[in-house]
Amino acid sequence: MRAAATLVMVTVAVIAQATVVNRVPFEWGPGPDLVLAAVVAVALTTSPAAAAGCGFAAGLAMDVLPPAEHPMGRYALVLCLAAYVLSLLRANTGLGGSAGAGVSAWAAVGVTAVTAVGVGLGYAFVGFVMGDAHVTLAAVGVNVAVGALLTTLAAPLVTLPVLWVRSLLTESDFATIQGPTSTGGW
Amino acid sequence: MLRDSSRSRLFLAVLVVLAVVLIVLDARPGNNPVTALARGGGELVFAPTAAGVGLVTGPAARLYEGVSQGPEAAERIAELEAANDELKADLQAARLDEGRADQLDTLLHLSGLGGYEVVPAQAVTRTTAQGYAHTVTIDAGTDSGIRPEMTVVNGSGLVGRVIEAGPRTATVKLATDVNSTVGARLEKTSKIGAITGGSVPGGPEADLTLELFDMEAPIEVGDRVVTLGSHDGAPFVPGVPIGTVDEVQVAPGALSRIARITPAVDFASLDMVGVVVDGPAEDPRDSVLPPKPEPEGDQ
Repeated sequence: MRAAATLVMVTVAVIAQATVVNRVPFEWGPGPDLVLAAVVAVALTTSPAAAAGCGFAAGLAMDVLPPAEHPMGRYALVLCLAAYVLSLLRANTGLGGSAGAGVSAWAAVGVTAVTAVGVGLGYAFVGFVMGDAHVTLAAVGVNVAVGALLTTLAAPLVTLPVLWVRSLLTESDFATIQGPTSTGGW
Repeated sequence: MLRDSSRSRLFLAVLVVLAVVLIVLDARPGNNPVTALARGGGELVFAPTAAGVGLVTGPAARLYEGVSQGPEAAERIAELEAANDELKADLQAARLDEGRADQLDTLLHLSGLGGYEVVPAQAVTRTTAQGYAHTVTIDAGTDSGIRPEMTVVNGSGLVGRVIEAGPRTATVKLATDVNSTVGARLEKTSKIGAITGGSVPGGPEADLTLELFDMEAPIEVGDRVVTLGSHDGAPFVPGVPIGTVDEVQVAPGALSRIARITPAVDFASLDMVGVVVDGPAEDPRDSVLPPKPEPEGDQ
């Protein structure tokens, strides 16, 4: 049930990003990244491996959907790594609130902002390695800053609902309680 | 400190390798069956959804255009009022399609002047992931006869060229993209040059920059530029208006003359476009350019 609800929510975020957000002609470059906001919420409430899988799938979906302006796999790689690292930090260091309690709203928004900056830089780095002529210092600065700001503004509308639904549909009473070290399994 | 099970790490490694393999496959020139299949699948979902979103968000898009185009508050209010009136009229009489019809009319006019055979399409995405590339997606593809390396125009002039075409959608690289270069010719004097998206090193900040190969060529502010045309009309057919010279830069020691070009097309409000599926039999020269505006308004 929880997995199915998550699948639906991430799919909706992907399709909304591709058909609604990307349709708006933002003159300054990037728009808010709903996919990233949704993946952050999933990564904060699951194991590292599942988070990586979710990030990869969502990123690949964005790569596959039009416009075909960057090579397939570029966004999947970045989102997959970001979700994995986020989930790993959450499990090991109690990022976003103590491990026993749920993630607080402010922490979730803050984590989304930091992840948006990281993903923006990672995406630019992959482009830089591949020799993408769009990646210049000025363009990266503007795009990462504006993109992260807009994504942070969108976080209360995406990240928080996804977090809320996922905590509501927790399968067992103890699912959110993680031991100090155990992160095994999926 | 960062402990994780080895199974989980293995899974991550597999995903990363998979992503890198995909990137390498897709970045290689030429068509690749794996990525083409995946893009085809993505399009199956995208095309109907985008069409639905287009129906629902039409009025909102108009409003956004009204808002985004006014840099000053007073202008913005006036524009909002105008957009509001327009919206009301649209809602009452379903005039939304009339605006499209006007754009199609001018497109038809341009294609008639130049002898281009165009397939009309609508832009369905304008922003890209992370905002780096200047590309739009249009809602027509190989089913309508569109192939990669075709010229895309609208009623005002050159929009860009098709870089990727699926059955029902196609990706268009705009002329303002950093990677876009268009062979260009000055009106009347026929001096040739290249128009690059964005700025060139040493040139002014611009949407489009013209580099003239002839240092002695006379070029003045207000001169207009059309496409030179490529072999067999791919990727660019001849004679399409690109823009107007806005500023000429005379750099001592430069190997070419650099000029800033104001695009003929308003890229911020791109909607109806036409893909030139068949070029003209003869170069239309300057006949596609609209008549020069009379300077009487300045007096």
